[in-house]
Amino acid sequence: MAYKRQFYPGTTSPAVARRRLMDPKVKLQKLREVPIEDVVKLMGHRNPGEDYKSIHPPIEEGSEPDCPIRKLVTPIDGAKHGDRIRYIQFTDSVYFAPVSPYQRAWMYLSRYRGIDTGTLSGRQIIEVRERDLEKMAKEFIENETFDAALTGIRGATVHGHACRLDENGLMFDAWQRYLWDPKRKEVKYVKDQVALPLDKEIFVGAPASMEDLKKRTTIFRADGVDMRDDKEVTKYQHRIHKLRTLGGYQPFKVKGV
Amino acid sequence: MATKEKMFMEAVKKKFKEEPTDVSTTYYKYGGWRQSKSKVEFQAAAEKIAKDRGFPMMNEDIGVPLGQRSWMPYQLSHTDIFVEPDDLHCINNPAIQQAWDDIRRTILVGLDSPHQTIERRLGKEITPETINTYLETVNHTMPGGAVVQEHMAEVNPALVYDSYVKVFSGDDELIDELDKRFVIDINKLFPAEQAKQLKAAVGKTLMQAVRVPSIVGRVMDGATTSRHAAMQISMAFISAYKLAAGEAAIADFAYSAKHQSINMGSMMPARRARGPNEPGGIPFGFMADMAQSDRVYPDDPGRAALESVALGAVIYDQIYLGGYMSGGVGFTQYATAAYTDNILEDYVYYGIDQINKKYGGFCKLDPNDHDELMNLAEDVNSYSLEMYERYPAIMETHFGGSQRSTVAAASTGIAGAMATGIADCGLNCWYYSMLEHKERAGRLGFYGYDLQDQCGSANSFAYRSDEGLPMEARGPNYPNYAMNVGHLSGYTGIPKAAHVARGDAFTANPFIRVAFADPALQFDFANITKEIGRGGLREFVPAGERTAVIKG
Repeated sequence: MAYKRQFYPGTTSPAVARRRLMDPKVKLQKLREVPIEDVVKLMGHRNPGEDYKSIHPPIEEGSEPDCPIRKLVTPIDGAKHGDRIRYIQFTDSVYFAPVSPYQRAWMYLSRYRGIDTGTLSGRQIIEVRERDLEKMAKEFIENETFDAALTGIRGATVHGHACRLDENGLMFDAWQRYLWDPKRKEVKYVKDQVALPLDKEIFVGAPASMEDLKKRTTIFRADGVDMRDDKEVTKYQHRIHKLRTLGGYQPFKVKGV
Repeated sequence: MATKEKMFMEAVKKKFKEEPTDVSTTYYKYGGWRQSKSKVEFQAAAEKIAKDRGFPMMNEDIGVPLGQRSWMPYQLSHTDIFVEPDDLHCINNPAIQQAWDDIRRTILVGLDSPHQTIERRLGKEITPETINTYLETVNHTMPGGAVVQEHMAEVNPALVYDSYVKVFSGDDELIDELDKRFVIDINKLFPAEQAKQLKAAVGKTLMQAVRVPSIVGRVMDGATTSRHAAMQISMAFISAYKLAAGEAAIADFAYSAKHQSINMGSMMPARRARGPNEPGGIPFGFMADMAQSDRVYPDDPGRAALESVALGAVIYDQIYLGGYMSGGVGFTQYATAAYTDNILEDYVYYGIDQINKKYGGFCKLDPNDHDELMNLAEDVNSYSLEMYERYPAIMETHFGGSQRSTVAAASTGIAGAMATGIADCGLNCWYYSMLEHKERAGRLGFYGYDLQDQCGSANSFAYRSDEGLPMEARGPNYPNYAMNVGHLSGYTGIPKAAHVARGDAFTANPFIRVAFADPALQFDFANITKEIGRGGLREFVPAGERTAVIKG
């Protein structure tokens, strides 16, 4: 029987949202348009139009060692060109941000090759060859995983995910990399991800309503969907803990668990 | 203690002007670091230093703009003391330093073996009178007094007034005959039931609690403690029993002092190399025995666990991992989350209430009933996480996920330990909490929580030496625990919780338990958060200061 890939248990909206994000067959909804030049500026690794810096010659020009693994793996575009590895890091608020750090990691790893992710409590970094990064960054700033108020693009000084929201509903950022624009009723970035001032304001759209976010979020919360109300997720989590406990202690008891 | 009123309310109402349930606030208008009294003080001091030395020093305007949100004071849990976060940095807080000094400078050296040497090998009599003479002598030598060689340089007593030797034993008759000034009296210091247990465990051994000077530990290191003690004990024997300074038996005194003694911590492997009596080698059970809350407040087992957490936080997380293993600015607020603002307090007492309701008291949940243990863990952990979700003020107080992960797991682990009376069941609940937290919130702590907590369920009951140990015997030296700040505080509370729930007088070592009951210590190990708070308020007076030998 062919294995059918499974993604996440559960019947509640956060569980369904987790499955959607992890399934590479699901095309994520695009909610805004941010020009690639602006994405490049937000990340701050190179100037728009500037050549990519390389850390090795293009693979086709180099003398790669005779390695069966290298023969098996098709390099991603940036690796072919010898790009350096750069990053984008998103901070996700606890207040019903569309996605949270672990779901980012699972989503990235399920959908992309050639990436390295790091997951912390408030932020999630993704490192990849620069030209591939730019494509990914544009996609993830534009799609449903990004909310203008509750998702931050932050290289350093990332705390704020657990702070209360400001009077405009924006997640706290000690560097104030983004501001509320009352005229356009949108959020605009005035600093790049390491808080260097931008030479132009970059608009990333209007925040979603809390009502909409509560439907879309991957986060279980007592004032939203409590994880205990999703029996399948709870059962799955109990099972993981029980199997790990028995596996390390009484593996002979792992029968029918 | 009832948990109807959330125990963290006093703290969060002092921190924030909004209601603790409000999701909204305002930022960027508080005047930056200037809203902090200590930052203003720091800036003024740094400017003066820069002027005096002719080149820049610290400058609050460099780097991240501090103070963009309201600057929070921190309440030391189960006290009414509020301090600034800077006041809890281990380099700024003399009480935290003294807690560490008092541990590092302690070694327990039995008198039975040297007494046998004196009686059987040298044919001299040991009596209460000779012991008293010896104790008076060793209280001269231990601070740095000379007794054998003439024309000796000695240590200025004003520098080492904290150094002494006292004895204790389970033998009441012997203790009755000794000079009370040199005795740690188990009967007086412990409640009757605890005293009975401790005396039975200590037996007829006559044990010395040796405190070398704090300043010795600071100038040298923890591994010096046994050497300093051995040298000065040997000298005291020579003088008190009129022995020959060169006779072979003297070596036996030094040998027993160095090798038949109880260090507070064991040596660490080369990659984390430290000698004995350094913080990384202290087992959690020993640390739990140093914490003395249940001696003074025997009817409050929650406080006993929480004070152990606080001691673990400052010694393991702030000084060891934040200092020895990391250095630099350290991990202060990472650790303080576990002993400030009564947040962990609220969760622990909730767990105690649930244990009483569900099982009718401590140690009544069958430790073999893993499903029910998980149910309890789910209850306490969900409550802890729900509080963060219902009260944005405490979510913001614990603004890092590592803080929340530790505190939720600590409350869950303490509950599991108290419900069963088994520390390893508590540890298993800790890891349950970590898995559930990650699953619920989609986030946990920093990278280390992936490393340590995602595999912890599998080692929580393992006893084979390269896989695990009973929780009482694990410590920062346990392979998987060597590098992750934010865990060791909670780990200290778990074995304490198990044993205090059982009504045990000690967690791992009765000798250490008695030694840290001594009121002559500089730091009061029965009131740990209060002492830390006094340090933050600059009211705590540490030993080992050098002012006695500095002009002016």
